[in-house]
Amino acid sequence: MSGADSAEIVVERLTKQYRQLKAVDDLSFSVRSGRVTGFLGPNGAGKTTTLRMLLGLVAPTAGTATFGGRRYVDLTDPVRQVGAVLEASSAHRGRTGRNHLRVVCAAAGLPQSRVDEVLKLVGLEPAATRKFKGYSLGMRQRLGIATAMLGDPRVLILDEPANGLDPEGIRWMRDLLKGLAAEGRTVLVSSHLLGEMQLLADDVVIVAAGRLIQQGPVEAVLGGAGTARVRVRTPQPAELTAALAALNAGVQPESDGSLMVTGVEPAQVGNAAFRAGVELHELTGERADLEKVFLELTAGKADIR
Amino acid sequence: MNLVRAELLKIRTTSLWWIFGIVLLPLWALSLAFNWFQYRGSSPAGGDIVDDAATPVAVASDLYTTGQFFGILMVLLIGAILMTNEFFHLTATSTFLTSPRRGQVILAKYAAAAIAGAVVWVVLTALNLILVPLLLDAMELGSQLDETAVWRAIALNLLAFLLWAVLGVGCGVLLRSQMAAALTLSLLYVIGTQAITLVFFLLTQNVAEWIGNLQVLVPVTASQLMISGTDLPGSPPQWVGAVVLIGYAVVTGLVGTLITKSRDIS
Repeated sequence: MSGADSAEIVVERLTKQYRQLKAVDDLSFSVRSGRVTGFLGPNGAGKTTTLRMLLGLVAPTAGTATFGGRRYVDLTDPVRQVGAVLEASSAHRGRTGRNHLRVVCAAAGLPQSRVDEVLKLVGLEPAATRKFKGYSLGMRQRLGIATAMLGDPRVLILDEPANGLDPEGIRWMRDLLKGLAAEGRTVLVSSHLLGEMQLLADDVVIVAAGRLIQQGPVEAVLGGAGTARVRVRTPQPAELTAALAALNAGVQPESDGSLMVTGVEPAQVGNAAFRAGVELHELTGERADLEKVFLELTAGKADIR
Repeated sequence: MNLVRAELLKIRTTSLWWIFGIVLLPLWALSLAFNWFQYRGSSPAGGDIVDDAATPVAVASDLYTTGQFFGILMVLLIGAILMTNEFFHLTATSTFLTSPRRGQVILAKYAAAAIAGAVVWVVLTALNLILVPLLLDAMELGSQLDETAVWRAIALNLLAFLLWAVLGVGCGVLLRSQMAAALTLSLLYVIGTQAITLVFFLLTQNVAEWIGNLQVLVPVTASQLMISGTDLPGSPPQWVGAVVLIGYAVVTGLVGTLITKSRDIS
């Protein structure tokens, strides 16, 4: 067990060729510990297949996926090192949530006391003795997270965990995952909910059609594409437009009476208004959002294959 | 062994075991009644024993292993369901994440199924040991429990339960669909065996006598031969039945393990 990097995930030239389709195509990226990494891509981009190869459930055609240099199947005591919540994670319909956790505990050689601890962690105690078939989607996700946390792992992998959660549940999940990352764990979350990812992720890995499009810290990915916009509200739009024209800014009147300014920073807009003696009622810098950047980056690459 | 404990917990934490229990007990009672009426009709108590198959020891062996036919069917299904459940309820992902060494998971399932088979055998044997002496007394044969052949039959019956349980897991791997596995195995077990017996009968009658000896290759025949309390004339020795069953269990087990190891779980 080497210290810090044993929780680092490295995917190297990973490829999965199905009979008709190259689901994952020469994909390489890495995931650092202590941060939440969003794994983004349109439907059918190969996200789930990649995660399943990472976890030894699907055999790669070529390439490797490792945790601190070791494949999942080669990990000693994998449940204590890596926890995973996959979309198809499921329990026997006739088994209670509590018994589902007991089975995993028994198989992994974990103390049964962990069952109550993780039930508490995910707030599933009231439903613990109910059968899985009566669980809502949100409760199933919580049970999945509870299962993944049984071994108190240093790496957490989640496939579309926000599916089926209500807004409160999504907020709960966000806080939980951020908290786990702050403890120094590695958190890799796949999703196509980009607004949620912008709130949650520190780093992103964007894939489309099985290939890597971009990876890096969210700010870097956002800064590298798209342009910042500034929303301005003023009773003197004509004067302000003239003043901004001198800065080569683009000005677009919006339907609600405000102006959308592109190509300049909010401070420059305020300065121009001040100098021109224009009264301002609103001045808002709008950051480029992940959704827009994502759509730009994956445009034309996300066709149905 | 953690994995075996987990597999046993899987059996215990669903309704499977008591449903099978509810189904099995009436079937056992029916079998016992059927056996009793059959032997009472041809009671050898009169002393004029001509038919080897009806010696007191053979009758007792048969009665003390009552419930074998349906008990083994249940054990076969438990073994198969232990495997098919993983795919039916999508728990294979969770199972193989917990223990990525799949060969060990299959081995644990074999062990758990064998233990379940042993439990069914214990229950049925206990019931038989309580009730059959009464029936034998009624037939004026005595309990026959001082005969080693009777105890050998009971012990070999256990072996049959163990081997069929293992066979069930192997079949569960090969037939991944829950419904397909349950239906196929039940039908093959109940009807298929009768059909094959008929085919063998016709072949023996019309083609050649020696073909009859191959009948031991039918798994159900093999297990029946294995527990028949006496070496009946015209039948292969008991151990041949055991060898045939072990052969089937090993082959389905190996093939099943190889398939499971190479399969993508998605």
